[in-house]
Amino acid sequence: MVKKAHFVTGKGGVGKSLVAALLARLYSLKTQQILLTELAEISFYKDYLNLNEISYTPTPWMPGVDVSQWSGEDCLKEYALHLLKVKKLYELFFENPVTRSLVDVAPGLSELAIMGKVTSSPRRHGPAMDYDQLVIDAFATGHFLALLGSPRAMAETIKFGPMGEQSRSIDKLIRDPQYTHIHIVTLAEELPITETLELCQSLKKDFAITPTIYLNKLLQLSAKDVSELSAKAQDILLSEIEAEENAKKILKKNKLHFIELPLVTSLSTPEILEALIAQLSHHSHSPEPL
Amino acid sequence: MIQIGKDTKTLICIGTGGVGKTTMAASIGVGLALTGKKILVLTIDPSKRLAQALGLKPDGDLHMVTLPLAAGENTSGELWSCVIDHKKAFEHFIREGARGIASDEKVNQLLQNKLYQQLSGKLSGSQDFTSLITLYRYVISNQFDFVILDTPPAQHTWSFLQAPEKIAHLFNDGITSWFREDAQSSSLFKKILNAGTAQVLKALELLTGSEFIRELSAFFLAIQKWQKPLENYVMNCHRLLISQQTEFVLVTGLDPSRLKEAEKLSNEIRTQGYRLTSVIINRVPEWLISVDFKKVNANKNLRLNQIIQYYQSLENELQKRIHSFSSRQNVYKCHEFSQTTEHVQQLKENFKSIQRL
Ligand SMILES: Nc1ncnc2c1ncn2[C@@H]1O[C@H](COP(=O)(O)OP(=O)(O)OP(=O)(O)O)[C@@H](O)[C@H]1O
Ligand SMILES: Nc1ncnc2c1ncn2[C@@H]1O[C@H](COP(=O)(O)OP(=O)(O)O)[C@@H](O)[C@H]1O
Ligand SMILES: [Mg+2]
Ligand SMILES: [Mg+2]
Repeated sequence: MVKKAHFVTGKGGVGKSLVAALLARLYSLKTQQILLTELAEISFYKDYLNLNEISYTPTPWMPGVDVSQWSGEDCLKEYALHLLKVKKLYELFFENPVTRSLVDVAPGLSELAIMGKVTSSPRRHGPAMDYDQLVIDAFATGHFLALLGSPRAMAETIKFGPMGEQSRSIDKLIRDPQYTHIHIVTLAEELPITETLELCQSLKKDFAITPTIYLNKLLQLSAKDVSELSAKAQDILLSEIEAEENAKKILKKNKLHFIELPLVTSLSTPEILEALIAQLSHHSHSPEPL
Repeated sequence: MIQIGKDTKTLICIGTGGVGKTTMAASIGVGLALTGKKILVLTIDPSKRLAQALGLKPDGDLHMVTLPLAAGENTSGELWSCVIDHKKAFEHFIREGARGIASDEKVNQLLQNKLYQQLSGKLSGSQDFTSLITLYRYVISNQFDFVILDTPPAQHTWSFLQAPEKIAHLFNDGITSWFREDAQSSSLFKKILNAGTAQVLKALELLTGSEFIRELSAFFLAIQKWQKPLENYVMNCHRLLISQQTEFVLVTGLDPSRLKEAEKLSNEIRTQGYRLTSVIINRVPEWLISVDFKKVNANKNLRLNQIIQYYQSLENELQKRIHSFSSRQNVYKCHEFSQTTEHVQQLKENFKSIQRL
């Protein structure tokens, strides 16, 4: 049974997918069975992790880690099949073009279905999932909050019937700190840091969740290191060094714990992952990424 | 400098999050205004520094920007900017569609419907649709020579391009007719359709409960009267996207996974019939050229050496991939500039530094 669900979020391009893969690897090293899943219409991991195939059904990636890709529609279909039971009725429903477009736009329906799938194992709803933990490469900040809030929103709109019932039980698990864990990836730049602070506030206020923060792609250089470069190069690098110091200061000022991840100077995914795993296990003084 | 077709009136900057869409949209705006044109830049999420540089206010209104003129320089051009207010934009769309058809009371009734509220929250939250209708609104107003749109941060630009199609489905006759209580539904065809519909509704009810169906039918009954004008509005938005006077500019980063994504995206966009004319690779570390490698190597600072080599390998990777873009559209690069200065002047320099590869 799935005991924990980890969501990885953050602004676009900050390294969410990489950190999600990293966490999946780290947890699997503690002899756990992990399912890494991406919420995307078009797969990123297939190329990035060099997989032959990726789909709703998990495929093995590394020892202890399987990878899958969930779309709202996949999750909704599974839910519908589970509830409607009668295959014929289900087919009628999903093969009707009008229903399909309804499902496309019905507010919050696909988000709700995804959250239903994330929590299906402890709710004993739908097919069994043979994993200890889920790591979800989730949406970027704004859409992520909508995803997390979808069960509550639906429960408030629809009070009765199976939909209301389900929504409430999903929402309860989202608020269970044993089950739901949120990881925010950020860069040491103004926009991602601002988004991180805002997201932390919303998570605290609306869900009473304290996320783990990863400050990614740090140069980890000092002003002295670059002092012999040309004026132009210094100008750029010094402004980045300053931005890194600033970001740390702001996070500390807001009493937010964060884990520092260096820019790994490689273009190969396995090499980047390996370097970051080594880094995280060496620095035992840094807070453990849950 | 970037080449733009002489009949072009609309420029749409697309790309994945954080690559610099907003910055490029603003830079192109400043650059074109200085050529004597009247420009509007519609932005979504400007950084604080950019907002300061342009004097942006998050109120959804248009504001005129003071252009950075050199001593003695003169221009008849104007730059206007606006940060889109998504809630206001969606309400504008609904009221526009209802004008002359539905009473204020009916409109307010719709605005109260729980599903409408969720829907508008979702649509204005995802920002795709509201950006598009705002663009359309200002393009047809004919107040500007050029309107430049910075698109919302999306995992995939597809979701932006699909926005009209998705919403059109919603106002589509099919769904609305399910819930319509009109007398003429007795034709044989309609009867057959309705038999199927009844079962589909039953399935939906099983899935969601009767309350959901009730809200749903209230919603569709509320919009059925002005469904046609809304549908037309949406169709016009879509036409704007595929118009000969609209160009797409894809902004991307130097990172190999970004470039690969951009490559896929550019193919997809073209096969779907949109006019992708330019690709800008942003934040190219031009400062590398000024690095004296002998000195760096002698320096023995391992970390610094690795970082410099890393940026170099990014550039090499770009050279390898460049041909896969350049045969089909103009490819440009824009340099990484120092983050300490952000001023309209900087945007002007950005525009000038955009260089054809
Ligand atoms: N610490 C790091 N060192 C080196 N490279 C990194 C690091 N973190 C991320 N990257 C690289 O940066 C690029 C962007 O990362 P990634 O794709 O994970 O971002 P994302 O947040 O998932 O983006 P999107 O919002 O588009 O989904 C990838 O090529 C990744 O390998
Ligand atoms: N050429 C560049 N050099 C340096 N920084 C840049 C450049 N282009 C963009 N940036 C910075 O990157 C960040 C993200 O840019 P932005 O335009 O907001 O991206 P997007 O709109 O694609 O999310 C901003 O802080 C911006 O100042
Ligand atoms: Mg990603
Ligand atoms: Mg932006």
